[in-house]
This record gives sequence, C-alpha cells and structure tokens, in this order.
Amino acid sequence: MHKSLDSLFLSTREKIDEEEQRIINTVRQWAEREILAKRLAYLEHYDREFAAKRRMLLMDIGLQRLALSEENGGFGWNSTTRAPSLAAVLMEIGRADAATAYLSALQFTNLLACGAKYTTPVGALISSFYSSDQPVNPALILPGPGTVDEQTPLFFGRSINVRLIHKGDEDILVGNNIRTAGCGAIADHFCVVCADSDGKPCITFVPADAQGVQRGNILKETGLNACTNADIKFNNVRISREAILKGSDAVERIYIWLNLFLGAVSIGAAMNFFEIVYDWANTRTIKGCSIMKDNPLCASVLAEVAEEIAIARFLIDDLARLISKMTVTNVQEMQHVYTMSQILGYRIQQGALRAVNRGMELMGSAGYAREWHAEKHWRDIKTIQSYLCGVGAEVPVKMDTARFFFDCKDI
Amino acid sequence: MKSIDDFSRPEEYISPMDKYFRSAVRAWAAKDVLPHRRRFDEDWKEHALIEPAFDALMANKGLGIQKALFPADLGGWGLGQSDYAFTIACTLAEEVGRADTAMAVAFMVTYWPLTTILVEPHVNRRLAAQFAPMFCNSDKAVFAALAMTEPQGGADIENMELLGGKTIKTTARLDGDEWVINGHKLWPTNTAGVGQLFGVPCTTCVGSNDPNDFALIFVPADVKGVTQGGPYEKAGMAADKNGDLWFEDVRVPAWYRAHGPGKDAEVFKEIIPWGLVGSMGFLVGAMMNLYEVLYEFVSTRTYGNRPLKENDAIAGLIGRIAGDIEVCRILAYEGARIGDRRNRPYGHPLYSEEVLAKLRNLKDFVCDRAVENFGRAMDVLGVYGPDRQYDIEKHWRDIKIIQLWMGGKQLCQMEAARFFYNCKTL
Ligand SMILES: Cc1cc2nc3c(=O)[nH]c(=O)nc-3n(C[C@H](O)[C@H](O)[C@H](O)COP(=O)(O)OP(=O)(O)OC[C@H]3O[C@@H](n4cnc5c(N)ncnc54)[C@H](O)[C@@H]3O)c2cc1C
Repeated sequence: MHKSLDSLFLSTREKIDEEEQRIINTVRQWAEREILAKRLAYLEHYDREFAAKRRMLLMDIGLQRLALSEENGGFGWNSTTRAPSLAAVLMEIGRADAATAYLSALQFTNLLACGAKYTTPVGALISSFYSSDQPVNPALILPGPGTVDEQTPLFFGRSINVRLIHKGDEDILVGNNIRTAGCGAIADHFCVVCADSDGKPCITFVPADAQGVQRGNILKETGLNACTNADIKFNNVRISREAILKGSDAVERIYIWLNLFLGAVSIGAAMNFFEIVYDWANTRTIKGCSIMKDNPLCASVLAEVAEEIAIARFLIDDLARLISKMTVTNVQEMQHVYTMSQILGYRIQQGALRAVNRGMELMGSAGYAREWHAEKHWRDIKTIQSYLCGVGAEVPVKMDTARFFFDCKDI
Repeated sequence: MKSIDDFSRPEEYISPMDKYFRSAVRAWAAKDVLPHRRRFDEDWKEHALIEPAFDALMANKGLGIQKALFPADLGGWGLGQSDYAFTIACTLAEEVGRADTAMAVAFMVTYWPLTTILVEPHVNRRLAAQFAPMFCNSDKAVFAALAMTEPQGGADIENMELLGGKTIKTTARLDGDEWVINGHKLWPTNTAGVGQLFGVPCTTCVGSNDPNDFALIFVPADVKGVTQGGPYEKAGMAADKNGDLWFEDVRVPAWYRAHGPGKDAEVFKEIIPWGLVGSMGFLVGAMMNLYEVLYEFVSTRTYGNRPLKENDAIAGLIGRIAGDIEVCRILAYEGARIGDRRNRPYGHPLYSEEVLAKLRNLKDFVCDRAVENFGRAMDVLGVYGPDRQYDIEKHWRDIKIIQLWMGGKQLCQMEAARFFYNCKTL
C-alpha cells in the first residue's frame, strides 16, 4: 500500500508534543522493520520471534518505562493527559502484533489506573514491578461470570470471584479456578479485582511467585496466542497492605483505561488488516478481468471496512480526550467517564471486528489462510472483544448505560 | 433439558431412513469425535487423531458410509437413486457438522464430484463401475476432491452463469483415446496427500465460454503427472486438508470425462446446489452444537447472581440465537427439498437459474446468521469464549470459511439479483 494510514484515517486527536510524536514514530519503525516487513518469518517462528521483538520494544526502545514516572526512571507518561499518546503508541504496536500490544495495554492500565501516583504505596509497588531490566508480563483478573452454586459480591452485576479476607492483622487472598483475561500462564504479576470482607470491590497486586499462587493447565485460546493463558488459584495468598487499592472508583478506573487501551490495540490490528485488504483488492481480478476494487459491490464492502475503522478511530480519539480531561477526584465525573468508556469501548471493538469480518469476505480463501495474516487479526480482535465483554455479551455494558442514563435501580 | 432434536424441520420431507442415519452418525460422533476434537487443531498436518475417526465413519470397518451413493449392484447403498438424496445429505452434513464441520466437509466432498456420475438422472454406469471398488471395498477412508479453484480465482470458475468457464486455465486435450491434462488447482478439500480421486473442471479451449468446451474429467491421484502439495495452515477446519494440486501432462482414458460436451457444463452447474445444501447442513449442525454448549453455560453461570438465562436481557439474546437456529434448520431442509424435487414435474432441474439463485440465497442467509451467532455466543461466554474447552470458538473459526467458499457471499448476492431482477450484466 503506497498511501500512509495517517493520511487516510483522519484523527481528531489534539496536538501531541514533539517528544510524544518521536516515540510514536520510533514504535512505528519497529513495527514496520521488525515485524511487518518480515511477517511470514515472524509467524512461522512466532514464539521465538515474539519474545525477541517484544524485548527489543520494551528494553531497547524502552517502552516498559514509558508509563513509569520520571522519579521511577520512566518517561513520565503516567498522567491522564498522556491518554491520547499512549493510545497512539498501542495502535502502532497493535498494527504489528496484537499480543505484544495487549501486554503493553495491561501494563499501562495497571500503572495509569492504579499506580499513576507513584508516591502512594500502591503506586510505588506497581512501579517497582516494571522497573525491571527484563520484560514483565502482567495479567488481569476482572469480574465475570459467577456460578449458580455460589452467591458472590458483584461489580455492577458481574461476579467478583476472588475474596480478600481480613484475618487479624493479615489480608489473605482466596479464589479457585479464576479465569484471567489472558496471560495467566506467563504472568509475572496479577492485577486482581477482588471483594473485601465487606463485599466491596477493590484491587490487589499479586506477584506470581507469591506463596499460594497456583497456575492451572495451559489453555488453548482463539487468538493472542503469545499471551498464554491458564486459570489461577489463590490459595490463602498473603497480601501486603501496600498491594491493596480500595475505593469504589478503583475498578471503574481499570475499565476506563482498559476500554481505551484495548480499543487502540484492536484498531491497530484492524488498520493492518486494512493494508492487507487494500493490496488484495488492488490486484485481485474478478469476472475474468475487472480489478476487485472497481466492482461496485466489492467497493461497497471495502467502503464498510474503511468506515468501521474510520469511525472507531474517531471514537478512540474522543475517549482519549475524555480521559485526558478527567479530574481524578470527582466521583460523579468518574461514573460518567466510566459509562462513556464502556459505550465507546464496546463500539470500537465491534467496529474493528466488523471491519475484519467483512474484509475477509473479499479475500476468499486467502483471508482464511495463516499465510496472509488477515485471519490472525480476526482471531486476536475477537479474543480481546470477548475478554472485554466478561460475561453475557453486551448486556453488562447495556446495563451500565441504562443505569447511568435512566437511573435504573434494580438491574 | 430440551434436545437439539427439538429444532423444527419440515417433517413431511424427511426420509424414512433419516433416523437410522442420524442415530448411527450421532453414536459415531459421541465415540470417535467429541472426546478428541479439541486436539484436532494441532493435528492439522498429520491427521493422526483425525484419520481413525474418518475410518470409523467412512470405511467398511466402520459405518462404511463412503459407498452410500454407489448403486446397490456395484456394492453401494443406492442413495444416488433415492428421492431423498439431498435430504439425507443435509441430515449427514448436520450430524457430522455438529461434531466437526471440517470432518463434515472432507467426508461430504468425497461425494461431491461423484454426484455427477452417480445421482439420477445423470448416472454414468461405466465410470460408476470403475470407481466403485475404490470406495466400496476399502477398510480405510477414501477421499475424493472437486478441484475447481485456480490461482487466479475460484469465484469466477463457479460463476458459470456469467462466465461459462472462460477463466479456467486448466486444459484438457484429447490425444487419441486419452485426455491430456495440464494445470494448477488450489485449495480443494481432500488434497494435500489425502485425495485419491479428483473431479477436475478443465477447458478444451482456453478463454472459451462455450459450454461444449467445458470438460469435467476424473483423475485418480496415482496417475503419472499428478502432484499434491503439502497442507495449508488455516484459521480452522483442521480435519480438512487443502493444498496445491498440479497436473503435468496427466493422461487418463477419454471415457473418464463425466458426460461429454455440453452435458459436463450442465452437471457442473448441478454440483453447486449440492455444495450449497451441504454448507447449510454443516452450519446448522454446528449451531445445534452451539445450542448444547450455550444451554449448559447459561444454566450454570450467573450474572447478578442469577443464571444467565434468567436475566431478561441475556434471555433476549440467547432466545434470538435459538430462534435463528430454528429458522436456519427449516431453511436448510427446504433447500434440500428443492434439490430432491429436481426430477419432479413441480420441481426445477438443478442446473436451472432458479434453483441456483434460491439455494445461493438460502446459503448466504444461513451463513450470515451462523457467523453472527457464533460471535455472539462467544461474547456470552465472555472471558471463557475464546477457550477451546468450550467448543464454540472452534466452531467460530471453522464456520467462517463456509461463508467465504464457493465464490463467497458476493457471488450469492449476484446470483440472487440476476434471477429475481433479470439483471443482464452482473
Ligand atoms: C476449507 C476450504 C475448503 C475448500 N474446498 C474447496 C473445494 O473442495 N474445491 C475447490 O475448488 N475449492 C475449494 N476451496 C476454495 C474456495 O472455494 C475458494 O476460495 C472460493 O470459491 C473463493 O475463491 P478465491 O479464494 O479464489 O477468491 P476469488 O475468486 O478471488 O474471490 C474473492 C472474492 O471476490 C468477490 N467476488 C468474486 N466474484 C464476484 C462477483 N461476480 N461479484 C462480486 N464479487 C465477487 C467475493 O467477495 C469473493 O469472496 C476451499 C477453500 C477452503 C478454505
């Protein structure tokens, strides 16, 4: 494809500074040189290549320190004002490989949602996780489905399956067969949405090597294959005070950032899909002679691919702007941003997936072959979308929305 | 629990043999497929797990179903002569598809080229007798393939109404009493080393759209000059092997041509309805399995501490999914019946524009519903949706290609428009 994606997909992103642009450009170069230009080799030896390229991104380019405070030796992108630039970085990574971007999205979420204030004990702890000279793998445990034989505390209807029990002077984490949103098998630490002794949602951070953390068998999942998953058991894991983040808005904050960051990852993947389908439609002929893109029916499908991505990009810019202007202390405002992030996040994932689903229609078997990489984007985006749903498809998001806009009390 | 058999279908159309086929195949699926299918994806190259399951379904040491189309006096079950051939095909596609759509494809595609010589009104006795021992006397699963797709495109080759075969580059030249075939095919189901017999659409005059220049020729895999490449790695459909297929000065007897000038083009057009009904059967079978998995999940997992299915909003969503399965099943059997009416005074020949347009329409509709519902169901499972243990994600990956193959969605739309609006140039 000879056109630049930036010139095609306009952005309503507010002006970002020179330093931010420089980092975005560096990540783009990494994506293009290290992965997109060598895509077949990358896919063929995915496990090895994934680790090597990710290390380059996190260590050599230094992205692991991007969202760390300057005081912690980071780039200092640890404030809400950086939301647009962080999303832009994730989009660039997602264009190359959604799994790499997914891991960075989880890291950014941990830091921005919970540890942005590095001066707080929890902030210092999380920052210390990422101040490593090795790539660090985070994993996230969100509220999700419950089981019929157990009543659980809830986060807006979603079951919180991990309990933080206060015993004497100690806090103990307990949970069985807990499903992580990816990365359970490879995580170095877990960010866990749990319920305290009063049944209130809170967040704990647990190193994977803490006593009592047990991993189940490796799960085979649809996409994000490098983010190998496994169920986790928290068998009376002792949690230090500084690893606990309380407050009703803590979990909302996680979702806010997650919607932004995972939206960016999926859009990045969809943009690379766009490039693939662009090249395909420019060279493939149908009806014996006409170029596919000049067939009006195919053109209308191509238009839909572009539309979905263009709209998703606008939505992500809007969400980033909303977050960048959020005042961290205002609970009312937090509720509003939370709801908007759920609405926009859901739409962005739908749009990205729809773009790929429709574009694949035009690629026939090529779209289905591993070789073309299109199907990888399709699987990766779908996996992200299902993780984000948590349970019950779009229903929890719809309930959040109705609750906010219509003051529903019992849903 | 309600059962998958509660989904409606037009009972007055159903073959008297339906229940026997269905129960045999369901028992086979329970024993030979369901316990293993979660490991099929990793077996895409070797088929070490998959092959025994095929043997148990298709070969004589198992159900022996691969001989079903052959006339009884040649060792088969005479299904090619049945008034219910399409309806039974739909049943088989559904039952095998419930277990694994890729197995269903590989197994049913074996019949696909053979329909042109074994199904009334086009039985070619000489070819039937020639190939019967291969399929009727074997203790191993024997696969056939229909090798249409070529590097420049598969949709155009299937678009016979408009292009009449003029894009086909694989050539057949008559040399004495032999055909000499040259060409390169891609993607046929049951290639990459497993195919033993190929039905090969060729042209006797490159660039011609004259039906007389279209030839459908049978080529055994062991003939000199036939080369099968290795299997492609795909998003799903691991039990179906697809690869490159080359024909280099391949010689077969002249009588290996299905029927001859003009008639070959006609039977090739008849192949498409079989593929479309089969595709619908695969999808309905997969969706019936989706229902089974979903039923269990929404009954045992909760939102708001109540079973998912007892939440009105989620119930609305899963109710729609069940409704779609119901509608799609009815449509699939209606499609099958259109096929089975072909020789009746009130029916239309399979090669007619009407049959083609209607079946493409039905297939397109069922594909869209299936793609949407599997995606939806994964989201209902949420964080468990992408997990292979829950089976839905495998179907989700597998069934997407059913929407894309046989010329894809857009060709379906064009055929429908052409027929219903008398379009002249599409
Ligand atoms: C698992 C699997 C099994 C398969 N089995 C077989 C088999 O058994 N035998 C076989 O021969 N092939 C088989 N195929 C190949 C498959 O049938 C073709 O890929 C399919 O027909 C599309 O052809 P193509 O990929 O060459 O795409 P193209 O022919 O290039 O078509 C691509 C797209 O162009 C558009 N298009 C095409 N024509 C038109 C038109 N007239 N108007 C508007 N839009 C149009 C459609 O969107 C179409 O999807 C299989 C493929 C897979 C993945």
